[in-house]
Amino acid sequence: MSTPARDALSYQGPGDLTLTSIVLFTLGAYGVAAGAATGEEAVVAVGVFAFALFFAGIVWPIVVLARVRVDVVSPPDAIVGEEIDLRVHVQGGARRVELRVLDPPGQWWQTPVPVDGTVPHLATRRGVFQMVRVQVRTSVPLGVFVRTRTLRVTLPAPVTVAPKPANARPVLLALPDDQPTAPASIPQRGSGDAVRSVRPYVPGDPARFVHWPTSARRGDLVVREHEPPPAMGVALVVDLRADDPEAIASRAAGIGIATLAAGGIVWCCTCERDGPVSDLVVDARDLGRRLARAVPGAPATAPEHWPVEVVS
Amino acid sequence: MTSEVRRPRVPPPFRVVAIPAALALASIGGIAAQRSGLPAWLGMAAGAIAATLTVLALPSVPTRRATVVLLGIGGLGALRHAAVPGADDSLLLVAWALATLVALVLVDRADAETIAPMPGGAPLPRRGAETLRNTAVLAAIVVVCAVVLVAPLTDRLSRRVWPGLAAGPSDTASSSLKVNDELRLTDSPRLSDTIVFTVDAAHPALWRGETYDQFHQYYWDRSEDSSRSGPPLTRAGDTVNVAPSEDDLGASVGSELRQTYHFQGSFTNLVFAASSPVVVETDRTLCERGDGTLFVGVGRCDGDTAASPAPDLPGFGKNAVYTVTSRSVDASEDDLRAADRTPMPATVANRDARVPATTPRVRALARQITAGLLTEYDKVRAIEAWVGAHTRYSINAPPAAPGEDAVDTFLFRTRLGWCEQIASSMVVLARSAGIPARLATGYAPGDRDALTGRFVVRERDAHAWTEIYFPGIGWKDFDPTASVRLASTGGSSRSWLDAGRRHAVVLALVLGLVVAGAICWPSLAGGLRRRRARRASWSTRTLDRLERLGRRAGRARRPSETPREYAGALASHLDAPALEQVGAAIDADAFSRDGTSADERAAAEAVLSSTRP
Repeated sequence: MSTPARDALSYQGPGDLTLTSIVLFTLGAYGVAAGAATGEEAVVAVGVFAFALFFAGIVWPIVVLARVRVDVVSPPDAIVGEEIDLRVHVQGGARRVELRVLDPPGQWWQTPVPVDGTVPHLATRRGVFQMVRVQVRTSVPLGVFVRTRTLRVTLPAPVTVAPKPANARPVLLALPDDQPTAPASIPQRGSGDAVRSVRPYVPGDPARFVHWPTSARRGDLVVREHEPPPAMGVALVVDLRADDPEAIASRAAGIGIATLAAGGIVWCCTCERDGPVSDLVVDARDLGRRLARAVPGAPATAPEHWPVEVVS
Repeated sequence: MTSEVRRPRVPPPFRVVAIPAALALASIGGIAAQRSGLPAWLGMAAGAIAATLTVLALPSVPTRRATVVLLGIGGLGALRHAAVPGADDSLLLVAWALATLVALVLVDRADAETIAPMPGGAPLPRRGAETLRNTAVLAAIVVVCAVVLVAPLTDRLSRRVWPGLAAGPSDTASSSLKVNDELRLTDSPRLSDTIVFTVDAAHPALWRGETYDQFHQYYWDRSEDSSRSGPPLTRAGDTVNVAPSEDDLGASVGSELRQTYHFQGSFTNLVFAASSPVVVETDRTLCERGDGTLFVGVGRCDGDTAASPAPDLPGFGKNAVYTVTSRSVDASEDDLRAADRTPMPATVANRDARVPATTPRVRALARQITAGLLTEYDKVRAIEAWVGAHTRYSINAPPAAPGEDAVDTFLFRTRLGWCEQIASSMVVLARSAGIPARLATGYAPGDRDALTGRFVVRERDAHAWTEIYFPGIGWKDFDPTASVRLASTGGSSRSWLDAGRRHAVVLALVLGLVVAGAICWPSLAGGLRRRRARRASWSTRTLDRLERLGRRAGRARRPSETPREYAGALASHLDAPALEQVGAAIDADAFSRDGTSADERAAAEAVLSSTRP
């Protein structure tokens, strides 16, 4: 995959001649030269036959591939080291082409045209990508010339490639009481031990929360309501200004995801293209996107009284 | 026991390439065999076997590379043999070109099939349809290129005149290609398949080089009247107008035949022409004899001195081209019979109707054959019929010894000879009957090339025939050799031996096939029995069809899917609910106690036939 800023593409030749082309050209040149010298019609005919195939074999793939168009739709999120399925739509003049996705060069796939298909592609770099480079090639009909075109296809929606999470332990530290804890959208991953009150039973409540003495007294089922657990978590300050920013991002992702998985709350402080960003992390995907957008630069500061884990 | 699966040496997509590759090499092999004097089928078989083995049985060489190299070798063979066109070779060349085209298209397609298909994509276009379409388009491109380019590239082809490569005095040529003062009947002819020239002409004719009008028992020469040069030829650029002699009426009023000669030999100073040449397009200096034949001379050819070219005179070299327009009267039998009413020109009577110096019994035979016949034409036909009925053709006939009367020996002793003896006999008999006649030498029409339309004339087409003069019409060709039967080859024991030798290769191959068949038959028979025993049931065959349909639709059956499940999945994939009943029928046929009825099977097969991927 390619970023919009990465315009400088290495030079791609129009294609490659094959052994067939050498054989046909040799036959054609010899036939035409010998035939013209001797005037023997059949020799010239053989030479013209070979030359006609040679030129048709070169022009045909150039012409059919010139009209090939490729559209690619990518899933919005990806993680470095994992394959994503790019939905590819190919149309144009060719009957069949071979296709692969570059950056890094993937496997060639053969397909008829037009077609809607899926090409698995390995996400190898962290970042936000607006474009993919796709190579199409064909050697129809004779295999004389393998015409290759490299197309830069703009994605309808960018794909965010999160860093690959490194193995890390969760960092669960007590958060200040007056600080905002888990937003409503964050599901509670457990409950405290202290009972706050009881309420009538509603279908779906676990049976172990039924408060039997009160239920017996009231004649209806009631269940315990517990106090929420104390807020635990960490503020990750990700500083990518070191030599290996990808390793830093990977470690930050590992810590953040482990903390979230353990029920903790994660605040992430990074530096993005538009400046420092400091915000609460909603979930692992949100953390991945934040880290994908992070660039080397001075990160934002953590909220006051939050336990801080500087990843640098 | 091992569970290892042996992989095929050649990937399946490439196997089909062996067919056109074998056809291409077979075509070239056939041409090469013909050139070498072997049966064409032998070369074709060798080419096909070599190609098949190369494509299928060389595991260390990539199939595509092997095929392309093979086709390149075939192309070199085509170029080599295209340099010498032949009657049967053109079609083989076309077959080679077509097979090469198909092989290249198929090998590219097979190469593509080794690449994995895009997941979720549609299957590739069908191999046969794609090959057919691409081959047709490419063939059209090749034909257009050939039509547009071949003539300009072969500049000489568009010319009607070209002197050919320089021919030096040391060049040796067949006596049939050089001016001769006499024709000896004691010399055996040299016959081979070497191509002498090709002729572009609307219809076949006898391509005449020279005529002889004086018979001297064992050789022919020309009278002074025939050998002296005719009236001066007039030239305008490359066009030479030949003044017809007064007695050759066909040259004045006959229908025209335009012939372009493409000379393939090393040297000739004869100008071959059908009937009576009236216009020759050439840049060579031509001379005309009194008999109307032409040759390449030097300086002026006037009527005062006899024109006799020296051996080192310039002539036509290899690849020379010249064009002749000839005329001849299209006379019917009635016209020829009525010719007797026209008086015979004195020059012809004095020169061509003189009784030749031959034995009395030859003259007596002529009288006997023509006795009671009133017209000249009937006499000629009677003589021709008699020669045809009483003599035999043999190129190995013992020639008359020098000093013997060759015609007498042929007619009364051996009755065995080739065209020169046969035609000479007819001329002598005709003259003995008072009919003006002369001997003509040159070449038979040859075989017509199916592709170029040219007549391909070989050394073995060298020929001699009889020309009879009819007053008011001119000279007409009669070929008595055509009605003469071939001589028998001799004793039975020797002929069996000779036949065995001639067909030794064929016999060896047939014998080898018989032995191989005898050795292989037990295992082949066992294999056939096992194959019959393994004949698939209806449910298996129907499941195969279902799976083929699914593969074409891009939804192959998973190993874990039952036929019913697969049919259901395919039904929703193709939006064809009827496919579900196919799965049910397969399951019922395979597992139920009663199987399926004929109607259920027919319904399932109808669903499969009507469903398109």
